[in-house]
Amino acid sequence: MMKKITPAFAVLILSFVLLWVCAEATPAAKPAGEPVQSGTQGGSAGQAGKQDPFEIFGRVVRQLESAARPMTEKEEYYVGRAVAAQILERYRVVQDSRIMEYVNLVGNAMALASDVPYTYGGYHFAVLDTSEVNAFSCPGGIVFVTRGMLSRAGNEEELAAILAHEIAHVNNRDGIQAIQQSRWVEVVSMLGGEAVKGKEGINKLTLLFEGSVNDVVRTLIVNGYSQDQERAADASALNFLNRAGYDPIGLADYLERLSREQGAGNRGGFFSTHPGMSERLGLVRSAIASNGWKRIDHRIRDRRFGQYMK
Amino acid sequence: MQERVRRMNLKLRHLLIVAGFLLLAPAALAAELRIVTEEGLVRKDRRFFAPVVTRVPYGELIRDDSRRGDWFRVRYQGIQGWIHKSQVTERKYRATLTGPAPEATRDEVALAGKGFTPDVERSYRGQNPRPGYEAVARVEAYRVSDEALQSFIRSGKLQVRGGEP
Repeated sequence: MMKKITPAFAVLILSFVLLWVCAEATPAAKPAGEPVQSGTQGGSAGQAGKQDPFEIFGRVVRQLESAARPMTEKEEYYVGRAVAAQILERYRVVQDSRIMEYVNLVGNAMALASDVPYTYGGYHFAVLDTSEVNAFSCPGGIVFVTRGMLSRAGNEEELAAILAHEIAHVNNRDGIQAIQQSRWVEVVSMLGGEAVKGKEGINKLTLLFEGSVNDVVRTLIVNGYSQDQERAADASALNFLNRAGYDPIGLADYLERLSREQGAGNRGGFFSTHPGMSERLGLVRSAIASNGWKRIDHRIRDRRFGQYMK
Repeated sequence: MQERVRRMNLKLRHLLIVAGFLLLAPAALAAELRIVTEEGLVRKDRRFFAPVVTRVPYGELIRDDSRRGDWFRVRYQGIQGWIHKSQVTERKYRATLTGPAPEATRDEVALAGKGFTPDVERSYRGQNPRPGYEAVARVEAYRVSDEALQSFIRSGKLQVRGGEP
């Protein structure tokens, strides 16, 4: 009997010992200047000297788990708000209640058809008062489209296509991916230890937060997402449009217009952060063809587009 | 030789048992979901525009009775209804290793409460005057109601995710 359970037991013991060794090797993440023993958390744990191996085991497991922890929806929301704040320091929002209503209706209809219909703070859409052609999707669901971009949409299908593409970036958490890995590793390594307590902890987290927000803003405004992220967002947008009953060909029509402008030498803003429009257009067209999607009648929506946009 | 193979098989079986135990133990606790949006909307039916029967605050645990497609049938404070999968997380943490599930999930909240929190945002805004936040608050305050959105979808001959009107 003893012989039978030995291998299983050995695995458990081995993992226990390994984790114990890790615990001993992990530098105690305590803020400088704080006494070694905080005393308030964990009850009996951590009297200098002998420690309960089960306490250590529990702590190591907690540390390993926190290190693997992704950013929560709520944290993403706070990063997104700060990103949106920076964008709204550069651009004013168009104060037209009809336009505001229209982009929010089309945007929310698209969001319901997306892969993540609900986010922590919900989806919110606004138009930025600039003739530049651009759109920004902040982590968590605040989406901005410029007046220049909106003015190039020929109908509601195309507006829905623009918003679907931006919602896809939110779904895919592309904004969050722009944050340097090392920053998040530092955040979670703080959480596993005790260093997060007190003013010093907050100050350190604030710096990491600021760095993270700036990483996202830089990607949105200066560098743009990767070509792969753009292609993935196009592919998702086609599905969202189709699910919602919009004509997915609207995305191809819109990209074709932008591609023509890019070909005609329009540079800067969107055209610099979104190179290779014609390649994207080609991929979108072939996806439409392989799904067998044909043009659908959308005159009923064309009419209301005309009413809202006049 | 035959004895060696038999011993190897035995070892393999034990390893599989241990792996299975470690894998299956958390699944046994899959009866609770945590709200990950500011407010969880529990609806009468599993449809986006079904009436909301109760609203559940962020971080609360709700009982998961069953799942159909993208919707969970849940119970919160005695009220039963359906919640969309994007409003909850099924993430399970270590329950088998460091104690019973409720304790473990409280730890999860504590961990989540230690990252980029409202306190961190307050500190960030204190250190960097950010006038943009006021404009963001106005954008966030603009909300379309369920009724307005449903009527917009219907009048445009659209649908919600293929089928649902």
